[in-house]
Amino acid sequence: MARVHNWQLGREMSYWYPESRPNKQFAAVFDTNKCIACQTCTLACKTTWTSGVGQEYMLWNNVETKPYGFYPLAWDLKLLEMLDGQKWSEKEYEGQKLHTYEGQTIFESAPAGERVLGWRPEDIDYAYPNVGEDDCAGQVDGGASFSLQHMAQHMAWFYYLARICNHCTYPACLAACPRGSIYKRPEDGIVLVDQGRCRGYQECVKGCPYKKVFFNAMTGTSEKCIACFPKIEQGIQPQCFENCIGKIRLAGFINTPDKAQADNPIDYLVHIRKVALPLFPQLGLEPNVYYIPPIHVPHSFTKQMFGPGVDDAVKTYRNAPNDPDLQGLLALFGSSEQMMTRWRRQGDFVSGMRDDGSEAVRVPIKEPVHVRQPYDRLYQITRTNCP
Amino acid sequence: MNNTIRLFIALALFSLTVSGCRSTVATTTEVVAIQLNAVPTAPNDAAWDEVPEHPAKLLLQDLVEPRLMKASTAEVRVRAITNGNEVAFRLEWDDKSKDDLPGPARFMDACAVQVPAKLEANVPDPQMGGQGKTVEITYWRADWQAAVDGRPDSLKEIYPNASIDGYPFEAKSLEKGSAAQTEMATRYAPARALGNRRVGPREAPVEDLIADGPGSLSPAPPAGSKAKGVKSDNGWSVVITRKLPNGLAPGARTQVAFAVWEGAQQETGARKMRTGWVPLLMKGAETK
Ligand code: SF4
Ligand code: SF4
Repeated sequence: MARVHNWQLGREMSYWYPESRPNKQFAAVFDTNKCIACQTCTLACKTTWTSGVGQEYMLWNNVETKPYGFYPLAWDLKLLEMLDGQKWSEKEYEGQKLHTYEGQTIFESAPAGERVLGWRPEDIDYAYPNVGEDDCAGQVDGGASFSLQHMAQHMAWFYYLARICNHCTYPACLAACPRGSIYKRPEDGIVLVDQGRCRGYQECVKGCPYKKVFFNAMTGTSEKCIACFPKIEQGIQPQCFENCIGKIRLAGFINTPDKAQADNPIDYLVHIRKVALPLFPQLGLEPNVYYIPPIHVPHSFTKQMFGPGVDDAVKTYRNAPNDPDLQGLLALFGSSEQMMTRWRRQGDFVSGMRDDGSEAVRVPIKEPVHVRQPYDRLYQITRTNCP
Repeated sequence: MNNTIRLFIALALFSLTVSGCRSTVATTTEVVAIQLNAVPTAPNDAAWDEVPEHPAKLLLQDLVEPRLMKASTAEVRVRAITNGNEVAFRLEWDDKSKDDLPGPARFMDACAVQVPAKLEANVPDPQMGGQGKTVEITYWRADWQAAVDGRPDSLKEIYPNASIDGYPFEAKSLEKGSAAQTEMATRYAPARALGNRRVGPREAPVEDLIADGPGSLSPAPPAGSKAKGVKSDNGWSVVITRKLPNGLAPGARTQVAFAVWEGAQQETGARKMRTGWVPLLMKGAETK
């Protein structure tokens, strides 16, 4: 095992291969507060990539309701149970909070004979992709209505977690493959299974803690999310981004924190404002899909899932209405199918720019509000307005 | 009790057990390939009864990660017959369960025969060779055997109750069996598009491979290897037939190694039971 630096842990860690970061790293920010679990993303992916024989059960993109939704069943709980002592320490340095992970990653706690700590889902574990959908964490008493206040009182909360492969900086799938069939593209950090080389040992399926590699019984190989690389190569965001109804997603590229650029949308949200956080950073993979945590969920839950930055991230996000830059950048989500690797706010407008600096889109930070009168004079009918 | 006496008792007990279950079998300390006019392809061919057996002890693959930590199959019983061009190995091992349906977390019963690619004094590492020390491997798998024996290559075989809305290649606009339909089906099977031999249709339940060390296994040009595996209640009996190892004339010696994967124990790839090198003697017609 080599020693590598994982900025999400604030420390060095052990990994099967030496540190070798790609020239650019594909990354994304998902705003969990905006997801409506319409599964349009899931279907956009399914019809594009996994409509073949043997791919029926595969959801490279899935959306599960937390806390009781999982795909595959209990994917996170099973591993969290195997990994003990997930403790973080906190230090103040020049007015900044520095968090260090004091526990063990899945690489550091690999049992004898293994490259990573993992487990294997069986086919039955994939059979309930909608388990726990819209189930609350707690009981909702008879007659209680769903006000935010009630949610706090009754602990009756849930939220939607949209998941794709994290195109990790330290992929466990790649580390687990004994024959080097998985590779990380140097040009964009996208992690791919070489379908010519894979022999279907399913070590990657066992190793990936996010369970985002799937075995195809009919081709005998393992398959996974490819971040729609043919689209990215043309400067267009992946299918699950372009088709997202809730406009919760933004694709781009991320730098390491020391090289963070304020005009790079992902860097700005992750490194500068720290409003978007990795999924289970304690596992040690440096995953590259970042989540704006749900604001109404008890932090004890979201801290385990998104790390110790949750309190500050929620505070910053709640303050977005008074924060024109943050509010502006959030307005860019879902505003264009193009990859916007840079952004700029000018007054009440925000622009997303392509790699070459040309403007891909310009949107108002606040959309104008139109109030439609119930009675339509033109057609002489009355319509109901939904609140 | 001194060690010599202990050894004698052990040997006596061993021969008792052996003679107890198969009275006529002569066991040898090496694999001796007897020369006959034709190599039998069926595991139950009477010709095998005349051939001595080498009981090869299986060891854990516990040298490279991922390792096998829990021993499963203890021994593989090997017999060999050659016709001067080809050599057939019959591998038999105990296995109560038949594992031949692929799927997530499901692994196949399998076995393999390995020989050095070159006949030289300095043999490659028995663990799949090393740099510049190539080994040739012939690999048999239970699900491929089932396919060759006629099991349709269909999802319904694995999940009989599966109901599938439809596939893009079944679209009404695509003519059945047309090039456009094949193209569409291949689009959703990238491993097939790349010619990966994991994908059917399958003509033989074996594949020829070469390796230059662990993790380097790659397809060899098809060398016409054949196999037939049959499962009884007690275990597998598999005949793997391949061309004679390079430059191996009748009467000469080389090395051979074997591996067995027990699907029910989730053995796959590096997680396997294997032997070290076992001497292989090619008996010529004259030495019979
Ligand atoms: S999420 Fe899983 S499949 Fe994707 S790169 Fe990370 S370890 Fe590999
Ligand atoms: S399309 Fe967007 S809003 Fe709909 S489920 Fe997917 S991530 Fe959520």
